[in-house]
Amino acid sequence: MALGATLSLSAGGSADASTRREAKLDEAQVVALLVRRCVSGDAAAWEEIVQRFNRRIYNVCYRFAGSYSDAEDLTQEVFLKVYRTLGTFDPQRAAFTTWLTTVARNLLVDHFRRTKYDRATDSLDATPPGTEEDGQPLVHRLADRSPGPENQVRNRERREVIQQALQKLSPELREAVILRDLQDLDYKEIAQVLNVPEGTVKSRINRGRAELARTLQRTYRQVM
Amino acid sequence: MQGEIKNGMQCAEFEALLAEALDGALQGDTLARFQQHRDSCGVCGATYAEVSNGLNWLRELEEVEPPRQLVHNIVAATSGRAHTAEEAAGSPARRPWLHGQLAAIFGPMLTPRFGMSAAMAFFSLSLLMGITGVRLADLTPHSLEHRFYTSQAKVVKYYENMRLVYELQTRYRDLQRMTGASQENEEGRPVPHSQQNKNDSEPGRREYQNYTQEKNDVKQAVLPEFLPLMATDARQRRIV
Repeated sequence: MALGATLSLSAGGSADASTRREAKLDEAQVVALLVRRCVSGDAAAWEEIVQRFNRRIYNVCYRFAGSYSDAEDLTQEVFLKVYRTLGTFDPQRAAFTTWLTTVARNLLVDHFRRTKYDRATDSLDATPPGTEEDGQPLVHRLADRSPGPENQVRNRERREVIQQALQKLSPELREAVILRDLQDLDYKEIAQVLNVPEGTVKSRINRGRAELARTLQRTYRQVM
Repeated sequence: MQGEIKNGMQCAEFEALLAEALDGALQGDTLARFQQHRDSCGVCGATYAEVSNGLNWLRELEEVEPPRQLVHNIVAATSGRAHTAEEAAGSPARRPWLHGQLAAIFGPMLTPRFGMSAAMAFFSLSLLMGITGVRLADLTPHSLEHRFYTSQAKVVKYYENMRLVYELQTRYRDLQRMTGASQENEEGRPVPHSQQNKNDSEPGRREYQNYTQEKNDVKQAVLPEFLPLMATDARQRRIV
């Protein structure tokens, strides 16, 4: 109950930093307990862990890989690896979220290297993955200023353009930006996950954001 | 540029504080110096604008919804424990006993190869039934029973008819035998050979002939009066 309350507070976004920190601590304790139960063979505890973290890992995978099907496969891979190596998790060294994100990040980097030569050339003219094709390049669709399209469709297209721009970032910048701006990890956690100093993390985040903005500006300038 | 100091702050320090400044974590004097440097340094001001824009773009991205069956798939692939939450796959929850006992029996059958074989067998059977004219309706117990009795009645009927035919044949032979015997008694000699051949196919007649031959052995040496043409020629050649 206490966890639910703290989670709802953090999810609501109205809590201040200290409350969020406390919520994180409470969550960390609960998760540590779940991990202990899981290691001792409690299948229900494992299921709860999966329930609790699948959304986060799926989002990280999707934002990094840029494909829904890849994200699904990668999420399963992450949890398979976590299941096999759960016994090696040390709660004294890092929070479970950090450890889980590290596992996911390592698998994503492996996946990136594996698919490096298979990937099609990135182009904003290409239809984004998982979207409906209407036979027109994305640039043309964006240029269409007729009053017909609804706001919802326009917002969706806008998000697709951002996702495409995110895909154009180098993996180092992309992972830093995703973990900070989309997963809301703090700099220390990101430094642990990426195994780099905090200063490097901040620098990568700044460069990633700036690069993304430049790419999107170029895209919209091209459209106009 | 990195070492350039403007408003008491180097560009490198500005860059280091940039992320925290955008998080709203800077306060007091540090924040004031940061803002002054941003406003006075053209490069850092542009960088700030770009980074800020990038962050705003990223904030527009929303969380994507994972597939509904994802949790179920993960749990099934890892612990092998059936996911009990019905909403996981939007389908009825699987029963544990089905996984535990029946899965061991039917597990090997739930393979593409087995499915393909079963489909081919079904296809072949239906093709065979189509060619032979057997319909599925004919394979019901009732129609099978009906077919059995109909076939049995036909066989019995055929057998009865055969009995009648044999009886008639026997009567006819008896009559023939009787008339043949009386004719022999009247003429005192056997029936001509050509006439014998004509009736040789009949077993009754043959028996009768044998019986008469036993009685009149001497008559076997006598040449018949009406020999066939070919037989005559052969005898003539032998004589010559």
